[in-house]
Amino acid sequence: MDRRPMFLAALLAVSIVVTTLAVPTLVSARPAYEIPVTNVDNGATLDAVDGERWDQAPSAGVSLSSSGAAVPGGDNSTIDEVRVASARTDERLYIRLSWDDPTRDTSADNVRQFADAVAIQVPVNESARPPIAMGSTDNQVNVWYWSGLNDSQELLAGGPGTTTTLDDRNLESDATYRDGRWQVVLSRPLDGAGDNRTSFSAEQDVDAAVAVWNGSDMERSGAKATSEWHYLALGPGPQGPPYEMILWLVAGLGIVFTTLVTIEGVRRTRGE
Amino acid sequence: MSQAGNGTEVGLADGIDHQVAMVMDLNKCIGCQTCTIACKTNWTDGGGREYMYWNNVETKPGSGYPRDWEEMGGGWDEEGEERTPGELQNKEEYGRAWNFNHEQVMYEGSDEPLRPMEQPDWGPNFDEDEGAGEYPNSYYFYLPRICNHCTHPSCVEACPRSALYKREEDGIVLVDQDRCRGYRYCVEGCPYRKVYYNAMKKTSEKCIFCYPRIEGEGPEGEVMPPSCAEDCPPQLRLVGYLDDEEGPIHKLVNEHEVAVRLHPEYRTEPNVYYIPPFAPPQHSESGESIESERIPRSYLEELFGPDVHEALNTIERERAKVERGEESEVMEMLTTTDTADQYRLEVFD
Ligand code: SF4
Ligand code: SF4
Repeated sequence: MDRRPMFLAALLAVSIVVTTLAVPTLVSARPAYEIPVTNVDNGATLDAVDGERWDQAPSAGVSLSSSGAAVPGGDNSTIDEVRVASARTDERLYIRLSWDDPTRDTSADNVRQFADAVAIQVPVNESARPPIAMGSTDNQVNVWYWSGLNDSQELLAGGPGTTTTLDDRNLESDATYRDGRWQVVLSRPLDGAGDNRTSFSAEQDVDAAVAVWNGSDMERSGAKATSEWHYLALGPGPQGPPYEMILWLVAGLGIVFTTLVTIEGVRRTRGE
Repeated sequence: MSQAGNGTEVGLADGIDHQVAMVMDLNKCIGCQTCTIACKTNWTDGGGREYMYWNNVETKPGSGYPRDWEEMGGGWDEEGEERTPGELQNKEEYGRAWNFNHEQVMYEGSDEPLRPMEQPDWGPNFDEDEGAGEYPNSYYFYLPRICNHCTHPSCVEACPRSALYKREEDGIVLVDQDRCRGYRYCVEGCPYRKVYYNAMKKTSEKCIFCYPRIEGEGPEGEVMPPSCAEDCPPQLRLVGYLDDEEGPIHKLVNEHEVAVRLHPEYRTEPNVYYIPPFAPPQHSESGESIESERIPRSYLEELFGPDVHEALNTIERERAKVERGEESEVMEMLTTTDTADQYRLEVFD
């Protein structure tokens, strides 16, 4: 028997198993809908979008689609993905959002001008998932909102059209626009300190949804691109089934099996 | 709907106790803009309101303010149920503020006449007195406009935050400045373009029917008519409640039907009504009067809808009565100089 095909098949099998184990950790073996949260000791470089700590923080691509709200343009949004990363210290939660937008809109000084904006919504009561469209009366949401007018606001909402600003401004923001891409960092103390404010703990994942407005498309209010519910992976785990790892393994074993069958076929044809 | 004394129906919005209203007699307007300035000095003097005219007076035929507002959409469909989407206008369509050479002329001794520094190309009533028609039968008239405090206001419906609302006690339409987040759906939703966006405050603002004045918030707690009405030299505005059966507004609108709505086809049911304009008949080349109306009825119908015909016919009949020495309640109401009759202030008290 020729040893070469068997050797190659073995090599292939080994490399597939190695890849199966290594690649997912390189790419991201996260469950769907997870927004990873990195624990850091010191938030010093997290409050700026360019902070070096952000380089090491993994992020998730969150897909967006039109909110479909009953306002003109409610089913016509233009931004389809936002990358979200998050980090926390013992005191603060930081969220960095970035998305492609070829036009930088930072003014609302003309009647027809609207500013780009982004928002992340979390339930006031972290243990219940509110309706995605701004929560409801008995299941409210907190919204961290940043707009190109360079203001950020913490809002409370209990259904569409009910957003109200929360007075005490704990929310801090930083933003840059570079090469057709917005990067925005929002941060707030973990402790909500007060009624109607979400408190974050290390005990529990927290639902989160994102919205992006493109000002040059005259997007505002319900005319926006929104995500489904994701979650901030604040809790200790378990982190859900590692779908990607399983898929890689199944695919890898499939390849090995096919290869072996082919080799065997060739061998038999040759009458070995 | 409430039933008036003689059986005519007065349409009030649901849940509204009374409805403020105004009748403006277009035959008296001299285009002096006193009303515009009265309003401006009271309410829209600064702070992002420089370009706003809650009250404006435009020349018709003409493009108006903002330019070509009649073509921008908004209001309701034919059934009055679905809003028809409008578009947001540009700043240019309101007209930019012009800078004048005051400095040079007044302080630096320049001989130049006082004039805008750059060539102006548009502004409120830029086409003043242009009108239409050929000499010797050209024509125009002035059209003063405020928010109509509509019975079925599309601005209110357009706001996803319910920041605009119709006051229960008198139907005045207001913008809650705390709720408004500057989305401007109301600006494009009002077919009369009578909501304005304040870019400094990032909220919408509009005519408030001088509610502090009619509520007696003025000096000595006196109830006063809206400024635009009180300051008008020819006193062409009647002010009161539409549903005040003793008042001239109810009589002119509902009983005699001589006061009509501007663009009723927008179906917001405005509560500002107009006595349509008359003009002398046309002249022949040799200067003789000929049997032909100077302001084409078709044009008036475009502005005021088909009811304008009956309104004009009625007024003509009533005028003829007076000429024959007979009494005419309509002409009495339209020619009174007694401000107590013109402003039914007691209804606001
Ligand atoms: S005129 Fe326009 S702004 Fe005023 S109530 Fe009617 S729809 Fe609203
Ligand atoms: S003050 Fe009276 S006459 Fe003068 S423009 Fe206004 S409505 Fe017309």
